[in-house]
Parts: sequence; structure tokens; C-alpha cells
Amino acid sequence: MDAKTSRLLQRLRIISQVFFIWLFFFLLLKSGGAAIEHLPQTGFFFYIDPLFLWVNILAGPFFYIFLLALVPLILTLVFGRFFCGWVCPFGALNQFFTWLGSRGQRKKIPVHRNSLRLKYLLLIILLVASLFASQLLGWLDPFALLTRSSSVVLLPGANFLAQHALQSGASNQGWGGKIVKPFYDFSRRFLLTVPQRTFVQAAAIGLLFFALLLLNLYRRRFFCNTLCPLGALYGFLAKYSLIHLPLNDNCRKCGVCSNHCTYYGSPYQDYLKSECVLCLNCLNDCPFAAIDVRLQLPRAGKRPALDAGRRRILGAAGCGLALAALTQIGVTKKARAHGFVRPPGAVAEKEFLKKCVRCGACMQACPTNAIHPAVFQAGLEGIWTPILVPVNGYCEYECVRCTRVCPTHAIARLTLEEKKKFKIGTAVINRSACYTYADGYNCAVCEEHCPVPEKAIRFREVEVNNFRGKLKKVQQIYVVPDLCIGCGICENVCPRTDAPAIRVGAEEEQRENTF
Amino acid sequence: MLFSSGLLLAGPGRAQAKPGAEAQVVQVKGGSPYEITRRAVAEIGGMGKIISRGDVVMVKPNIGWNRTVEQAACTNPEVLRAVIELAFNAGAKKVVVMDNTCHKAEDCYQHSGIEAMARKLGADVRYSDENRLVTHDFKDEYLSKWPVFRDFLEVDKFINVPILKHHGSAGLTIAMKNLFGILGGNRGKLHRDMAENIAELAAGFRCHLVLVDAYRILLRDGPVGGRLSDVELRQTVIASTHIMHADVAAAVLFGKDPKELEFLQAAYAKKMGEIDIARIPVKTLTV
Repeated sequence: MDAKTSRLLQRLRIISQVFFIWLFFFLLLKSGGAAIEHLPQTGFFFYIDPLFLWVNILAGPFFYIFLLALVPLILTLVFGRFFCGWVCPFGALNQFFTWLGSRGQRKKIPVHRNSLRLKYLLLIILLVASLFASQLLGWLDPFALLTRSSSVVLLPGANFLAQHALQSGASNQGWGGKIVKPFYDFSRRFLLTVPQRTFVQAAAIGLLFFALLLLNLYRRRFFCNTLCPLGALYGFLAKYSLIHLPLNDNCRKCGVCSNHCTYYGSPYQDYLKSECVLCLNCLNDCPFAAIDVRLQLPRAGKRPALDAGRRRILGAAGCGLALAALTQIGVTKKARAHGFVRPPGAVAEKEFLKKCVRCGACMQACPTNAIHPAVFQAGLEGIWTPILVPVNGYCEYECVRCTRVCPTHAIARLTLEEKKKFKIGTAVINRSACYTYADGYNCAVCEEHCPVPEKAIRFREVEVNNFRGKLKKVQQIYVVPDLCIGCGICENVCPRTDAPAIRVGAEEEQRENTF
Repeated sequence: MLFSSGLLLAGPGRAQAKPGAEAQVVQVKGGSPYEITRRAVAEIGGMGKIISRGDVVMVKPNIGWNRTVEQAACTNPEVLRAVIELAFNAGAKKVVVMDNTCHKAEDCYQHSGIEAMARKLGADVRYSDENRLVTHDFKDEYLSKWPVFRDFLEVDKFINVPILKHHGSAGLTIAMKNLFGILGGNRGKLHRDMAENIAELAAGFRCHLVLVDAYRILLRDGPVGGRLSDVELRQTVIASTHIMHADVAAAVLFGKDPKELEFLQAAYAKKMGEIDIARIPVKTLTV
């Protein structure tokens, strides 16, 4: 293919990648502050993700919207792994870091088949484990990974840095402050999230994410080549695809085409259809226009692809079974023995763990920063699933955002009226800590904030000898369990500074009563 | 600006009128919230008496909750429209609207309709910013050092525009309790001796004008409410330059005996004013 077309194709690829990165962050950012009726379809990237099409067929109820995922699957049979190279926003980020790392160096490294193979084995392990236990593909699925890392680390981190820079600038007393102030006021109103969002697991998720990005400096598109289960799925199919990069008579066997190949191969040597993401760097690198792009039926017996190996696949399936067993025996028998509370609309725990893809879209959408990725509260299989942390934020009574953005309906859609009645837990008072009992003086901050119009938190006036030894009328707090919906604002506002004297647990949570 | 802040803060015992002084309360009934607010201000002597040309004016409504106008948990934006317009007409250089909310600020400001209204009129709508807290010493028995947003201190005039509503632990929340919105920090701790804290805050912070929105009042399950059946239409606005007398008149309007409200008792004990409505000159008119 001539140089002009080659360059054009490569540029088109970059434009496409930039567009999808923009689309991804645009949707995610918008879901952070939008009014409920204007929430964007953040689920888009999950709807076109065949990993979750599979998971949803395998693991329970099937959603028609996931049929969209058949489109990239079918296109893969024609164009190979174009999705990884042209569409995937995380792939684009990896490509960008690879490009950063490749400036000025042309080290020849042979194709490392074992590391390329790992992703196929991981796909098998996670698929088998997801079939027998809960849905674990979200740990590594590129969209779940990118959404989670962005919601929990990237966006709050950027917000932190921007806010501090602008604020310190705006508080400058001289002319500098006068210049920065309008920018600060504008961003404060339209861009920044104040107060700053914090997440329990930000450090862990962030370190993992940045490590994955930095590994690109060491191996080209490290994540895509080595770990990505979605890439592996496309790789399996790409083997049978029609796309081909044949060499024409101009080829002088110089090997320049491998200079920027994402998997260290090239159309000339070690051409692997299953690994080629159609980045078309080789076309552009070739000084002799010796590489063509063609659609042709693969000749029998000549399918240039990586062979994962039957024994390895069987072994991976065995590992998947072991992982499934581990997640199932590593928990207490009663799920309710756990102290955590799920967002409103979350389906029953067992089903929830199969549907939730651990993407953290709900964490980004939650206006009060109440939803956090679990550490081990929900067991090994529940890592990064959403739980409410009321000391950090409460479930806003007038809000259904998390139920709207969940791509897999693990948090079912609720209307505002349904949500206001949806019981996610019950508040319980610790009488040894509550001021109105322990110290004998008035407080009632929780009563004041309780959003249930009939008041799920009330007080009764009692005469007690308080801590000063005086007989005093005190408004002692109590909870009406039937009315309490478990929103956690009481725990959030409790003025005790050591630990809240009122806490919300999963007691009587509605989702478990549907059976 | 920083120096003028001292003007707003009166030491204990200085801000309140002596019992029997000619502190006046005007109560206007009927008509739209906008109309009766304008009338009430006119009856109390007009905004020109309170605001000087070039003043920076703080209008402090109750924007505490993520609730709509009909739910009557936040000040009616139509009342604010009248106040802001009058303040600008009286020559205010700038009108600031701000509250330290209980629910998430954005939700409260938007859902209550206050932000849109105030911005339309050209007011400076501010969200509370923790970086703008300064520790202020109220030098009183219960309330001493406490963080206050400097926005409330760095203005020339302060107009307190609360909504009259039921409050679980305080009984009612009117103008004196509305001043909690200038405070930051762990405000829940102030509930311990709520009545005394309310009285000392009101005594230690000067309001140049108080306008109580009693157009719709929340009768039960306050201060947050939510049920429309708890809301009653009273179509009244109370204006006064004396914060305690405004509260006494509002309590009577609500149907409560001011003597049964602990915070008014505490204010009375501090000699801030009269607790007996019969001893307060109230002018009531219907439009």
C-alpha cells in the first residue's frame, strides 16, 4: 500500500482512538454531576462488551441490550482485533504510553509467546470461575477497569490537584489572584467536585492502574498483550478473520515493520492475526510500501495465530474451578452476617455478585460520595463491588442516580417513588455512645436529618440525672425500624467524633426479602 | 473589608434592645409572597433606612435542605426576589446569598429554586467553602470559639430571611436558629445546649433586618419535612429589626406559646427582649 494511504489509515486510527477516549470520559464525567433526568448512557461501552454478553448468558438473566455486543464480535470475524486498536479507550491509553516509551528507541525483542498466552488463560480462568461462582471478569475487563480507576482515582485525583492549584492561586492577594479568581469561580461552579471525593481503596486501585500504564514503557501495550480477557476473546476469533496484511514484491526483508509493532511481531516475521490490533504502524514504517491490507478467506491450514495449547486451556479451566471454590468457601455462611449495605435497588446478594461487573459507575454517579468499592467486606468475590460507607456520605433521599447508571442492572432501575420506599438497611442506636443516653443531654441531630417524612428516628422526653448530676428533661432518640429505609444520613451527621452512635446495617434489607 | 467585619459582631449584651424599647414588628398577611414581603419592608421603614449606598449586603435564607418550595423547608424564592430587588434598589453594591446547608449544597441551592432566582437578579450566590472558615470568639457562656464563614463577617449589612417551620429538638426554627447557617464545624455538637447556644448566637451576631417567611409553614416533622400534608398556607411575612421579637411574633403565628420554647426562654433570660407578645408593638395588616 502506498505511503499516502498508509499514513491516512494510521491517522484515521489515531482519530478514532481519540474520539473513543473522549466519548468515554465525556460520559463518565457527565454522570458525575448531571441531574437525574439528564444522566448519560454511561453503560455504552459495557453494552458492546461481549465478555458480559457471555457472562449474562452463562450467569443468569439475559439482557437484550447486550445483543449490541454481537456487533463487535461479527466485525472481528472480518477485521480481526480492530476493536482493541481502534475503539477500546483503555487500549488507546496503553497505546499512548507505549508511544511515549518508544520515542527514540528501536530495541528488537522477539515475540514473547508465553506472555501473550497469559491473557487467554486468564480469560478461561475468569470465565470458568464466573460460571461456577460470581462474576469476576470485571477485575480485568478493560472497561470495568478503566471506569473503576477513573471513578475512584483519576477523576477525584485530577479534581484534587486542580482545586488546590486554582484555590491557592485565587487566594493570592495580588494581581495573580485577580486573574485566577474567575477561573476558580467558573470551575467551582461547573467543573470541580466540592467537597473533594475520597475513596477507601483509591490508593490500591490507583497504584494498580498506574502500574499497568507504566508497564507500557517496559513492554508495548503490556495490558492488552498480556492480561486483557476481552483482547483474548477477540484474539480467539481474529484467528478466523478475513483481514490479512500480505507482503508484496517490494519487500526487501529489512524487518523495519517490526519497529513499532504492538506485539513485537510484524507482517514479515511472526505475523499473528490473533495479536495484531490493526494499529497499522507497520504500514507506515515500511519504506518500500511492501505491506498491503486485504480481506481474503484464510487458506486452510494457514491461520497465523498464537496457539494457546489444549493442555494449557484445560489447566486454566481447572484453575478457574479452584478459584470458584475458593470464593465460595471463603465466606461466612450467612451473607447477612456482613455489616455492609448495598446501594438502593441492588438485587439479592447472590444474584448481585453475578451481575455486578465491579465497574464503579455508581461510585462516580453518587452525588454524596457514599458508594465505595468493597475491600473484603463482601468476601473475596465481592472485592470492588459497591457498598455504602455512611460516615463518608449518605444515600440522598431525592436521588436514583446509581440505579440509572448501572450497566448490568445489578442495581435495578428504580423510580424516585420506589427508591424512597426501598429499604437498604436499618439504623441501630448504640446507647452506650449516644449522648441522649450515655451523657443525658439533648442532641437529636439524626432525628432532624431523617428524610422519611413520618420520621423513622424520633425521641421521647425522659427525666434523667445527667452527667452533671442534674435532673433534666432529655429527648432520647429511638428508631422506628418499619419506617427506616437505611439511607445512613443519621450515621453521617452524628456529631460524635470517635465513632457514630447510630449506624446502619443490612438488617431487614428489602432485597433479601424478595424470595 | 476585613476591618468592617467587626461592625457586624456585637459583644454579648450590646446587640439586644432593652425591654420595652420601641423595637417594632410588622406582620403582613394575604397576597403573593413577593407582594407581602415588599409591603412588610415598606411598613418597617423601607430598605433605605437599613441599607446605605454602596453596601455589601448578605441575604441569609434557609437553604438547609434538598426540598422544593411546596415542601416548605427552605425560604421561598419569591420572598428572596423581593428582598434582593429592594436591596439593589436601596443602593447595595453587592448582594450575597449563602447558607451552610445540611444536605449537599448543590442539591439544596437548585432544588429550592433559590440559586436560579438569586442569580437571575444578579446576586452573588456562594456555596460554603471550608477554606473560608475563621474561628470567631462569641465570648459567651455556652458559645465561645467557633468556626464562622468569613463571607458572613465581611459584609456591611446582614438580612436574615428564615422560613418559619417546626423543628424537632428546638420546637421551632425561625430567625435565631437560622443563624446556625453562618457556622461551620461540627454543628451537631451545638445541640447539646441548643436553647442557650441559639440565644447566645443571636445575641452575639447582629442582624440589620429580619424577614420571616411564613407564606407556607411546615407544621410537623421539621426541619426537613417532605410531606405536603404537613404544609399549611399562611400567606404571611413578618418583618422586624429585632431578631428575638420577630421570633416571638412568628411563634405566636405558628400557634405556640413563646414561653414554652426553650430558646426564647434562654433569650429572655439574657434580657434580649420581651417574651410576652402583648408587650411587643406588633402591627398587623392584610393586603
